Amino acid sequence: MATPHRITIANTGQVIDCGRNQTILDAAIAASIDYPYACATGNCGTCSSRVEAGKISLLPHSDTSLTPAQIKAGQTLACRARPRSDVTVTWLARARQ
Amino acid sequence: MTLADRRRRACAKLMADVHAIEAKEGITPSTLHAIKLKLVALANKPELFPLSDFTMPAAQSRNHPLLVEDNDGHGIYLTIAMPGKEAAPHDHGIWCVSAALSGRERHEYFRRTDDGAKAGFATIEKIGEVMVEPGCGTSMSDHDIHSTKVVGDRPAVGLSIYGWALTRFPAVSWYHQRYSSTRSTPSRRHVLAAAQAG
Repeated sequence: MATPHRITIANTGQVIDCGRNQTILDAAIAASIDYPYACATGNCGTCSSRVEAGKISLLPHSDTSLTPAQIKAGQTLACRARPRSDVTVTWLARARQ
Repeated sequence: MTLADRRRRACAKLMADVHAIEAKEGITPSTLHAIKLKLVALANKPELFPLSDFTMPAAQSRNHPLLVEDNDGHGIYLTIAMPGKEAAPHDHGIWCVSAALSGRERHEYFRRTDDGAKAGFATIEKIGEVMVEPGCGTSMSDHDIHSTKVVGDRPAVGLSIYGWALTRFPAVSWYHQRYSSTRSTPSRRHVLAAAQAG
């Protein structure tokens, strides 16, 4: 089994493990982090985040949840993003609590 | 008459039929089935909806308005979703009917099994499944919980009619079996009103 990548959640300063086939949101929730999300399938944009460092790959998402211009500007969707290196992300919405 | 004119006329006829059904019997599972049959009949005329007339998604899904009524009227859309595109189980608060032009999209239906007493927590179980492919459609009532996923290697292209236009959608509740959670996205009409208020 491949070594998981390290994900730094800049909002909280926590560092968690995330497998190559796991999304950043899945890993965050497994680590009991209150990461903002709603649809968790790339439709709503609630988990919109900024990639501060590192590489990710994206699962399918809707045109309205993440535009090409936003991707170019370094944004991603935590629910669709799988790490391809160690990554640092900042969520852009407020958490639930 | 151009193809666009023929398409507009066909959509206007469908909308008139929907209103006639609704005026007579209201929106019920039975009348949604009748609306579905009308929509499937329209989708069985793919020559009216050549993909060359519709921009493909920049990402993996896009909705093209075909006929959208004012105020709290209905909306008819052509939807394009690429292979692998999915939507987790959700209740979008308003009825919907879909029919396929091409490709295949699996719709699964669920019911909530917890009592809703704990904020953010929910459990659901699957109660049914429909493969929406050419010649087929599906319908759902206001608060039915359903998920979608495009299967196979071709885009799923279809027609959908919603009780309210997508820009005036109510809040959507999303359900996640793997997290035992529920989350909501706000009503789009309130988001729109807030944006317009500046």
